[in-house]
Amino acid sequence: MTTTKHIEMRNVRKAFRFFTLEDLSLDLEPGQIMGFVGPNGAGKSTSIRLMTGLLTPDAGEVRVLGHAMPDAQAIAKRDIGFVSDDMRLFGHASVGWHMRFVASLYPGWDPQYAKALVKRFNLRIEQNVSGLSSGEHVKTVLMLALARRPRLLILDEPTSGLDPVARHEVLTELMDVLRDEDRSILFSSHNTVDVERISDRITFIDRGRLVDSNDKEDFLERWRRIQLQVPAGTTLPDLPHLVSRVADGQFVTLTTNRFSKDLVAFLGSSVREVHRMSLEEIFVANVMHHREARGE
Amino acid sequence: MYSGINISQTDPRPMYLQIMEQIRARIAAGDWAAGKELPSIRALAAALNVSVITVKRAYLDLESGGVIVTRHGKGSFVADVNGLAGELKAEELDEHLAAAAGIGRLLGLTPDELAQRLRRATRTLDRK
Amino acid sequence: MNMLTRKLIAKEFYLHRWLIVGSTAAGLAGLAIAAEGAMRFNIGMLTWLTAIIAFGVMLAMLGIANERKERALQFVLSLPLSPGDYVRIKLIGLLLCYLVPWAILSAGAVVLLLVRPNLPDGLLPFALLLCGFMLANFSVVLCGALHTASEGVMTIVIIVTNMNVTLFIFLVGAVPSLNDHLHAAAPVWNDAFWIVLAAEAATLSIALSLPYFVAARRRDSI
Repeated sequence: MTTTKHIEMRNVRKAFRFFTLEDLSLDLEPGQIMGFVGPNGAGKSTSIRLMTGLLTPDAGEVRVLGHAMPDAQAIAKRDIGFVSDDMRLFGHASVGWHMRFVASLYPGWDPQYAKALVKRFNLRIEQNVSGLSSGEHVKTVLMLALARRPRLLILDEPTSGLDPVARHEVLTELMDVLRDEDRSILFSSHNTVDVERISDRITFIDRGRLVDSNDKEDFLERWRRIQLQVPAGTTLPDLPHLVSRVADGQFVTLTTNRFSKDLVAFLGSSVREVHRMSLEEIFVANVMHHREARGE
Repeated sequence: MYSGINISQTDPRPMYLQIMEQIRARIAAGDWAAGKELPSIRALAAALNVSVITVKRAYLDLESGGVIVTRHGKGSFVADVNGLAGELKAEELDEHLAAAAGIGRLLGLTPDELAQRLRRATRTLDRK
Repeated sequence: MNMLTRKLIAKEFYLHRWLIVGSTAAGLAGLAIAAEGAMRFNIGMLTWLTAIIAFGVMLAMLGIANERKERALQFVLSLPLSPGDYVRIKLIGLLLCYLVPWAILSAGAVVLLLVRPNLPDGLLPFALLLCGFMLANFSVVLCGALHTASEGVMTIVIIVTNMNVTLFIFLVGAVPSLNDHLHAAAPVWNDAFWIVLAAEAATLSIALSLPYFVAARRRDSI
C-alpha cells in the first residue's frame, strides 16, 4: 500500500498581472518537515495559498492529503492547520473565546495540550485579541492550530517577529509534532538557521520557479567552497558542477554543488581549504546561479 | 535524559557528526552501557530540536561503524562488543593524531620531531 | 458543515452584539420621542431612521470589509469550508443580524402609529414601504460588500444607498396616490402601495441571490 503524500503539486502554474508562478512541482511525505525558502516575492505565499485552496491553479494539479485542491478543500482542511504570519483573529473576542470556537469545530482538539501551549507561549486566555502584539497574535494562531493536532501543518513564516525564546518554544512544538510519523509540516521562513536545523527536506524557490528541492543533508554534503592558491601562469582545468569561481590574484574561490573527495584529489596541491557552507550561503549561491542560468 | 547532548549550529562540524561524537563519548565513558537501548530516532530528534533526517544519518553511520546495532522494528542498541568503549577511545586518539600529523606537516616537522613533541606532552601530563 | 454554519452565524451575532443592541436602543428611543407628536415626531422618526440606516452600513462594513482588511478572512478561510460556503454563511449570518433590530424597530413603528391617536393611521402604508425599502437597501449594500474588495467601490455603494433613502422619502412620498392618504385616519392599501412593495421585494431577491451565483463561484478568494 502506497502511503498518500501529504502535499503533491505537479507542474502548477498561476499567473498574475506582474508575477507568474511557473511549473512548480513539490512533494511532502508524511513524517517529514519541509522548509520552503525563497527571496521576497519569489512565490512562497502564492504556493501556500494554492495548497490551502485560496487560489485555483491556471494549470497543473494540487493534491493535499490526497484531496484535489481547491475543490475538496472543505474536507481537506479538517486535517490541515494553516497559520500565516499576517493572519488575524476576530478583534472583539478573547483568546479563550477563540479556543472554545475552534474546539467546537474540530473533534481532535486537545484541551490539556491547549492549556499547556497557552502557558508555554506566554498568552492570557481572558485577553482580547485586539490587544495582542503581532508576535502574540502569531503565537495564538499557532496555539489554536497545534492544539487540534492536525495531520498536516502549513505555516507561512511562523516565527517572523518572534523573540528568541518564543522562537525556541515554537520550534520545540513543531519538532514535537514530528514524533508522530503520520504527521508532517511545511513551513516557509527567512530564518535559514532554523530551516537548516529542523528541516528534513528543503525547497528553494525564486521568481516564481523552483530552484532546487532536496534532502537537507544532501544539500549540506554536496555544496562546498574550495579555496585554492594557483601560482601565476597556471590555469585551472575546466571543472564540471562549478557554481561560481572568484579569482583574486593567485587566490581562487570555487563554489561547487557536487562535492566529492575526487574533486579535491583532482585539484591537488593547489587546494588550501575546503569549507562546508551554511544553508544561507547555499541558498544565496543557488539562487544567483539559477538567475544567471536563466539569463536574468 | 538527553539534556546533556547539545547540538550547536555555530560549531563548524555538521550536526550529524556532533550527535555521533556525543553518543560515542557516552559509550566510551561507560555511561551508555553495552546493550542499552538508544532513544528512537524521532524521539531524539524532538528532544534535540534537530531534523529526523540528521539523527537518522547519525544512527546509520554509528551502525556502519559497529558502535550501535539496529533491530528492525525494535530499536537501536549500544553494540554489545567487548572492549567497545576502549575501541572508541582508540578511534578518538587516532583522529587527534591525524590532526596533529597534518599540523606537523604544515610546520615542516619530520616524524621524529613530531614524536619528540608527543613525548614532551606525555611528560608534562605526568608532572601534573 | 451544519455545526460550522451555526457556529459562524453565532459568531456574527457575538461580534456585533453591541452594535445590534445599541442600534435597537437608539431606534426605540427615537420612537419614544416620536410618540409625543408634532415637532418631536420629526426628530424621533429621524433618529429611528438614522439608527436603522447607520446600523446597516456599520454591519456591512464591520462584517465584511473589515474582516477582509483585518485579515481575519484568512483565519475563517482556514476553517473546513469552501470560499463559496463562506459567502453563503456570511450572507445568511449578516442578514439575520440585520433582521433582529430591523424587525423590532419596524414593528415598533407600526405599533406606534396604531396605538397613538395623535398619529394618523394613514401613515401606515408609507411606513411599511419605508421599512421594506431599508431592508432592500441593506441587502444591496450586503451584496456589494460580498462582491468587491475595493474600498472605493464600497464607499460609492454606501453613499448611493444612503442618498436613496432621502430620495425615496421625497419621491415616493410625493406620489399622489400615496401622498393623498398620508393624513387619513385609516390606512389605504392601493395599487401604488403594492407596486412599490413588489419593486422592493424584487430588489431584495436579486440582491440576496446574486452572491450565490457570482461571489460564491469565484475561484480566487484572496
